[in-house]
Amino acid sequence: MIRRLLPALHWPSVRGRARADAGPLILAAVVVAAVTALAGAVPVLLTGTADEAVRQAVRDAGNQAEVLVRADWEYDDGSLGRVRDPRSTDALDDLRDQALDQLGPLRDQMLPPIEYAEGPYLKFVGAPDPRSMRLAYVASGSGPAVTWVAGSAPAASAEPPDVEVPYTGDPWPVQVGISETTAARLGAGPGDRLRLEDGQANSRDVRVSGVFRPADRADPVWQAAPWLLDPTLGADGPGVTRFGGLLSAESLPDARLAFALDEVSRTVRFRPDPGSLTLDSAERIVATVVTLKATSGSSATRGGSQWATALDRLLRAVHDQVDAARAQAAVLLSAVSLGAVLILLLAAHLLAGRRAAALTVARQRGTSLAALGAELLLESLLVAVAAAAAGALIAAAVAGGVAWGWLLPVAVTAVLAGPGFGLVTAYRATRDKRVPANRSARRRAGRTAALRRFTAEFAVLAAAAIALTVLHQRGVQDSTILPAAAPALGALTGALILLRLLPPITRLVLRLAVRSTLPLAVFGAARAAAATRALPVLALVTSAALATFAPALGSTIGAGLADGAWRSVGADARADLPARPAAETTALVERIAAAPGVRHAVAAQVTSAAPVVVGGASRPVRLIVVDSAAYRALLADTPLPALPALPASGNPLPVLVHSADGVLRAGVTLQLTREGAPALDLTAVASAPAIGDTDDVVLADAAAMTAAGVPVVPNTIWVTGPGAARALAGTTIVDRAVVERERRDAPLVAGLVGLAWVATGTLLALGLLGFALGAAAGAPARWQTLSRLRTLGLRTGEARRVAAAELLPLALAAALGGPLLGVLLAAVTLGPLDLRLLTTQPTDPALLLPWVAVALLAAAFPLALAALVPIEAAARRRRRLSEVLRLGGA
Amino acid sequence: MTAPLVSVRGIERTFGTGPAAVHALRDVSFDVEPGTMVALVGRSGSGKTTLLNVIGGLDRPDAGSVTVDGAEITGLDEDGLAELRRHKVSYVFQTFGLIPVLSAAENVGAPLRLARTPAAEREQRVRLLLDLVGLAGHAEQRPGELSGGQQQRVAIARALAASPRLLIADEPTGQLDAETGRSVMALLRGVVESEGVTVLVSTHDPVMMALADRVIRIGDGRLEE
Repeated sequence: MIRRLLPALHWPSVRGRARADAGPLILAAVVVAAVTALAGAVPVLLTGTADEAVRQAVRDAGNQAEVLVRADWEYDDGSLGRVRDPRSTDALDDLRDQALDQLGPLRDQMLPPIEYAEGPYLKFVGAPDPRSMRLAYVASGSGPAVTWVAGSAPAASAEPPDVEVPYTGDPWPVQVGISETTAARLGAGPGDRLRLEDGQANSRDVRVSGVFRPADRADPVWQAAPWLLDPTLGADGPGVTRFGGLLSAESLPDARLAFALDEVSRTVRFRPDPGSLTLDSAERIVATVVTLKATSGSSATRGGSQWATALDRLLRAVHDQVDAARAQAAVLLSAVSLGAVLILLLAAHLLAGRRAAALTVARQRGTSLAALGAELLLESLLVAVAAAAAGALIAAAVAGGVAWGWLLPVAVTAVLAGPGFGLVTAYRATRDKRVPANRSARRRAGRTAALRRFTAEFAVLAAAAIALTVLHQRGVQDSTILPAAAPALGALTGALILLRLLPPITRLVLRLAVRSTLPLAVFGAARAAAATRALPVLALVTSAALATFAPALGSTIGAGLADGAWRSVGADARADLPARPAAETTALVERIAAAPGVRHAVAAQVTSAAPVVVGGASRPVRLIVVDSAAYRALLADTPLPALPALPASGNPLPVLVHSADGVLRAGVTLQLTREGAPALDLTAVASAPAIGDTDDVVLADAAAMTAAGVPVVPNTIWVTGPGAARALAGTTIVDRAVVERERRDAPLVAGLVGLAWVATGTLLALGLLGFALGAAAGAPARWQTLSRLRTLGLRTGEARRVAAAELLPLALAAALGGPLLGVLLAAVTLGPLDLRLLTTQPTDPALLLPWVAVALLAAAFPLALAALVPIEAAARRRRRLSEVLRLGGA
Repeated sequence: MTAPLVSVRGIERTFGTGPAAVHALRDVSFDVEPGTMVALVGRSGSGKTTLLNVIGGLDRPDAGSVTVDGAEITGLDEDGLAELRRHKVSYVFQTFGLIPVLSAAENVGAPLRLARTPAAEREQRVRLLLDLVGLAGHAEQRPGELSGGQQQRVAIARALAASPRLLIADEPTGQLDAETGRSVMALLRGVVESEGVTVLVSTHDPVMMALADRVIRIGDGRLEE
């Protein structure tokens, strides 16, 4: 029954056609396989890359990725005063266990938690430079492994352990351990009492029990309070060096008694385990953390825990990055898909042309259109399925999986284009419809055809306009293909416009050539005017435009990364110095400035989160205190923005400011708040260049700052020149070239830039293939005309030149129109693609055209023309000129 | 007695090899006097077109020689043959062979452009020829705007443009109706009279044979004259 419903297939015809046209069929198969491999692998690779990007971001974020759970200590009031709680570490354990319970299954994705208690700001009395001290207890299950190189671990200050202490009286003594570095800087040792007072100038009794050396400086437990190991500049305000005192489980209860109840924190710190993270698990973590933050935020009761973290922001930023990368990949894949679809259409059209005679004969012998369609469909289905399977295998081998979404347009075209063009050819060859005899009927038929064409072109134009509008308004989103296809549709629209411009141009050239005395120009222009075909022009110009767009995307990202690295580092190299006397830094800068290959070396005091009050609200800013003249000279040696002039002094102190939201702008007044000192009034006189990875920057002149009574202790040295990195050897160096390379090698960026170049190569290959197919499609008519011209006396060499002239408009349209269109598309569509998310810049990078790639691309088509014509001529030479006497056509 | 314009001697032409070989021409020899119209007659596959191709230098014989206007053409290279076609031999195709985007006048002037004839002289010659074929009023029309008979007239005018000594026409009326075909043959006859050109034409039509000065019959690759 089913056999009767299906049209009868003539298998010898199917086999014969496939054998006769094996070349075009193999070519279509190669295109399908290549695009399947690319479009099947990229989304899978991108998913893996996104997971790696999440892991990398969490690794790089350090403490920024921490989740902090805070809780108040239980009241410790006794009958006469406060009662020492010897089980303080148990309270931290309880908080840890409670937090782990709240995390639920997500606890498996966290590294072992760190229990942490930190005392308030204490100020050294009589120190030669601003110094502060904080006491901290850290433990991950147990306290950090240390060796006591002098003295011993901090012990309890009282017996019995649960002694009750009156509310008033002498400061309660606390024993701490200090690191070797701290001991050396402070000149303190076991048994010494440190001269400390709190923010209200109350003296505090902190005694050194011993000097320790960490067993492992890389132990994650130290990351909670790195200043316990090394003094840190700027953590307690500009120019202030923070020292740390390590509390033990025994001395922590004394620290609680030494300060007010809420002055010592009770915290558990979690960090996600980067190795176990994926994009999906990161999303679950964000959801959980946001919920915990929201619910704990409302908990005001003592004993409840409060969750705080920037992890959700961090993971959301990575998610945005991944979304941006996916959007950009979608744009590139849609470009490759459109290029492939056009080439497949062109190949199918060529195939139908080659088969016109055979199909006509088949129809004349009584083969129904249904049977013919079924035969052609079977053939294209076999070719497409086999090619797609091969491509999918390659994708699976490369990416470990295959994504099928992007294959649909290519697969549908590969299956349907051949039968479609074949059936149209067969139908037209045998339909009983003649060209109307009278002129008005012919005009009417022409108008109908023109209307059909206009409708199709308008549909493309409308789709491109809508896609561009959506792209600009909403960007590219996961679920919508249209905005991602905006550049591809834009290229197709541009190609359509060029297609409509070509005939008048070639006709104009022909008119000029007819008036010239150059015979070959006339014949070449005549052939060119007669030979403009829609599909080759569309395929070539679209491919060339998108092959220009893709590297423009890659090069713009590259330029953005370079600019971003300059902005992050601020020079060719930067040294982040440990806290040290200013005189030592001055000597170091002089030595660096004199090193070979160094052009500029400038020291500055950089405070990453200095508290500034502006408009009544406090906001952390990156405070840079630097010799402004020297810094201006250094910046002039870099691509970074120039530094405006900064008055040497003034009251309020003149500063330069920068903020993304515009709150910090020229003309505003600010107050720099300081621990233990009055706020300093500042006035913004001009905009500061955005240097560093924070948006808010306040830049002050070092001399003016010193004159205003604020101590300046440089902790950063910026160096320019080819020898910058070498000159900073021995310090904690941040090399701009290394930063840039690391960012280029970051999974998402490297993957996307790689994809941009692969897409460029693929599109160029498709364009060249389209050129060859377009030339092949017109070859019979071209060489028939040339053969006829040879019967008029045209020489063989002249025939090649006429052939080249015929193909020249196509080559020029691709070589000139394509890149021009690609550049235009890049300018119009790169903005909404959020490239800044990948280049880590505050604003989208400016378009950078890869001129070398564009030039090579533009040269590729004329070169292909130069190569193709002799090949074609050689192939045609085998056919006898005598054949033309009997053949029809032009 | 004048020397023959075309002298064909012992021409052999075989296509293919072995048992599948087709002997298109076998020991064909004849002369064509200048200023005459010779009709080449024979069934399809008799070798007419092959013989015209060999005489016109579009195909090379396996043996024998062809002399056109005193020049032995079987030994000419491609450039030599191009020169021959540019100045001495021209063709009229069954399917006209005009360039569609050029006007009738530009089509006619094409051989003169190849011969680098000065523009003024070329235009004058084109006007003359279009007048000769009765298409003076259609000079600016393109082939697609002309009837089949008109297109063939343009093709004849183009064939005459470079003042060839020999015009070869392979079934020039094959795509025309009988009436139009007769008028084209009459035109060729008139061209022989007015231009003094020698015309070698293949045809099936007995009426057209009557217009010829001489009829050469060919069958199975041999002359049956």
